[in-house]
Amino acid sequence: MKFIVSSTYLLKQLQVLGGVINNSNTLPILDNFLFDLKQDKLTVSASDLETTMSSVLNVDSDNEGTIAVPAKLLLETLKTFPEQPLTFVVEDNNTVEISSNHGKYALAYADGAEFPKAVELANPSSTSIMGDILATAIDKTIFAAGNDDLRPVMSGVFFQFSPESLTFVATDAHKLVKYQRTDVTASQVAEFIMPKKPLTLLKGILAGSESDVLIEYNDSNAKFSFENTELICRLIDGKYPNYEAVIPKENPNQLSISRTQFLSSVKRVAIFSNKTTHQIRLKIAGAELNISAEDIDYSNKAEERLTCSYQGDDMQIGFNSRFLTEMLNNLNSDDVSLEMSLPNRAGILTPIDGLDEGENVTMLVMPVMLNS
Amino acid sequence: MQKTILHLDLDTFFVSVERLINSELKNKPLLVGGLSDRGVVAACSYETRGYGVHSGMPMKMAKELCPEAVAIKGNAGTYSNYSDMVTEIIKEQVPLFEKSSIDEFYADLTGMDRFFGCYKYASELRQRILKETGLPISFGLSVNKVVSKVATNEAKPNNQLKIDYGLEKPFLAPLSIKKIPMVGDKTYQMLSNLGLRQVRTIQEMPIDVMQRVLGKNGRIIWKRANGIDHTPVVPFCERKSISTERTFDKDTIDVVKLRGILIAMTENLAYQLRRGEKLTACIAVKIRYSDFNTYSKQMRIPYTSADHILIPKILELFKTLYNRRLLVRLVGIRFSHLVSGNYQINLFDDTEEILNLYHAMDHIRKRYGDKSVIRASAMGARTIGRMQNPFDGRPPIVLAHRKQ
Repeated sequence: MKFIVSSTYLLKQLQVLGGVINNSNTLPILDNFLFDLKQDKLTVSASDLETTMSSVLNVDSDNEGTIAVPAKLLLETLKTFPEQPLTFVVEDNNTVEISSNHGKYALAYADGAEFPKAVELANPSSTSIMGDILATAIDKTIFAAGNDDLRPVMSGVFFQFSPESLTFVATDAHKLVKYQRTDVTASQVAEFIMPKKPLTLLKGILAGSESDVLIEYNDSNAKFSFENTELICRLIDGKYPNYEAVIPKENPNQLSISRTQFLSSVKRVAIFSNKTTHQIRLKIAGAELNISAEDIDYSNKAEERLTCSYQGDDMQIGFNSRFLTEMLNNLNSDDVSLEMSLPNRAGILTPIDGLDEGENVTMLVMPVMLNS
Repeated sequence: MQKTILHLDLDTFFVSVERLINSELKNKPLLVGGLSDRGVVAACSYETRGYGVHSGMPMKMAKELCPEAVAIKGNAGTYSNYSDMVTEIIKEQVPLFEKSSIDEFYADLTGMDRFFGCYKYASELRQRILKETGLPISFGLSVNKVVSKVATNEAKPNNQLKIDYGLEKPFLAPLSIKKIPMVGDKTYQMLSNLGLRQVRTIQEMPIDVMQRVLGKNGRIIWKRANGIDHTPVVPFCERKSISTERTFDKDTIDVVKLRGILIAMTENLAYQLRRGEKLTACIAVKIRYSDFNTYSKQMRIPYTSADHILIPKILELFKTLYNRRLLVRLVGIRFSHLVSGNYQINLFDDTEEILNLYHAMDHIRKRYGDKSVIRASAMGARTIGRMQNPFDGRPPIVLAHRKQ
């Protein structure tokens, strides 16, 4: 087996695929890239058993064969080369020899057959979506997903496809984000929960991409194909909580405020809040929003007043400032609206402007129980 | 800078309070403590000490040693009130003080010499407490907490002692090493086996030898023996954990009863958390079998103060812990890793009804007392927990015989 490939072209592809590989693997073979050569098509794959990603590269060759090459060693080497053709030759003594303009390097390789096979999707359904839209959907939701091992369904993003719209939901039981697109649709109704890791990878690759992504899915796996790359991952098994039911319908108290002003005030005041609970207090009366925090242990205290437009009863509500800053940071509108009903029910944060046609964002944040 | 630290200690505090309430008890041998078979002596009058009675010993044994003694159950609430009276006076008179237990105080009088004369000032303070509350009190005055405390113990009963600057070492030298705070029975045994009985001997030893024998504590004991102590007087006592436990009059194997008690304890402590606007992230259950083997198990949880999260976790811990099918002598729970904050409501698990219910229950408790409303499953437990707010900066009420 022998092939010639451009060093930077290979590096660029491998760096993307390298994101799949875990730092510590129980299976040593997973520390490798799988090189599968078929004439002038080289398919490179990386896997962590849950997620497998592969790219097809054009190389100069007329051979066939599969080998597994140590990922770390190869990436480190490739990073140091300026653009030049590299020749890979598989030797008999279980090493692959790379020849560059500078010299020769030999790496031990493993048998490609040991590498776990990517799953084949049995009778999948499919839908197609523009890369950038998918990246945005992931970006808008993924921060709200949880980390609790005891509740795995909440550690992913819920994809809900229907002929009317595509909906993406993430929650950790304290905050929730629902991102909906009515301008993109699927042919039939489908629901599945995507784990965080492949989504983070997709987000990185697809940001700004104009090309279409084909999403195929069945009950247990999903496959994302775009350009020369394929990503197959196992879905999170389980039933996603009924999030629609917890979004309060009646919210008589409505606050509108400049997002950047609100965000910077919350950030500033939060510095004075308790370092573990990050708790802040919002007091709204008339057209004034009062944000305060206190860290009793260190006698730190802060209070700010903002003017806002408010309709509703005077109220006092406590939030974890982390949640508010994360949400406000994730939005990019000029103004936001915060709708509330009672101090022990969710606040609903929505952007007032800056949305595309057919785009819809709803963010929910649960308050903390203040002693009145 | 040279410091002046005053240590005040109420003599046989519980006994003194009982005698104030009932003057017939004066000059009679008196024991305060639990009266049941399991009870221990919390305080004993000087008259009984001649019989070999000391606090911490089983009440049964004390009564055998001194049959003439009157035994009284005592009431922590009354003691707390009298302690507060003394605290008020001290608070008024000194710039900085620390209440280290129900009957002990440290005050930092540094710099007051210039105006009053610390010893004179302290003597006047002691007389004032004596006059206004009628409680005998002793004090020790020196350059640091340890020497002052030892001086107070030497001054007792109802007296005072000043150790002049520079005389700390000679003062400590002839005393028994038992008098050094933190040398308990075990350490004393160990040191006397090595031939160390007088503080003088420790003073003459190199510090490294002490460290080799007792590790880190050896260094501290050596320093204390030499009258060196730099711990400051801390006015506010930050609670690191809250706990409660219960020893049964009779060992039990009734799991329903045990669970009921644990639920009652959890409910009470969770209310204390909410009242103090605190959250816990670590819960523990303790269990002591009739053979005195004690086991405890703890668990990290996300920050919370909600009954419906804590109770199942506590019961779960108890289930894994109670596996010996033996009679149980004691159960207890502890919440630690406390931080200030309020309960973060969960989108899916918490309903509005339950939140409103907590709110209403806490409101009732605030007005009518901790036990005005409790879970039915917790009603089997008679009395648990505490009366006072654990987060008001005061030290926990520690019975006199229990070493902190």
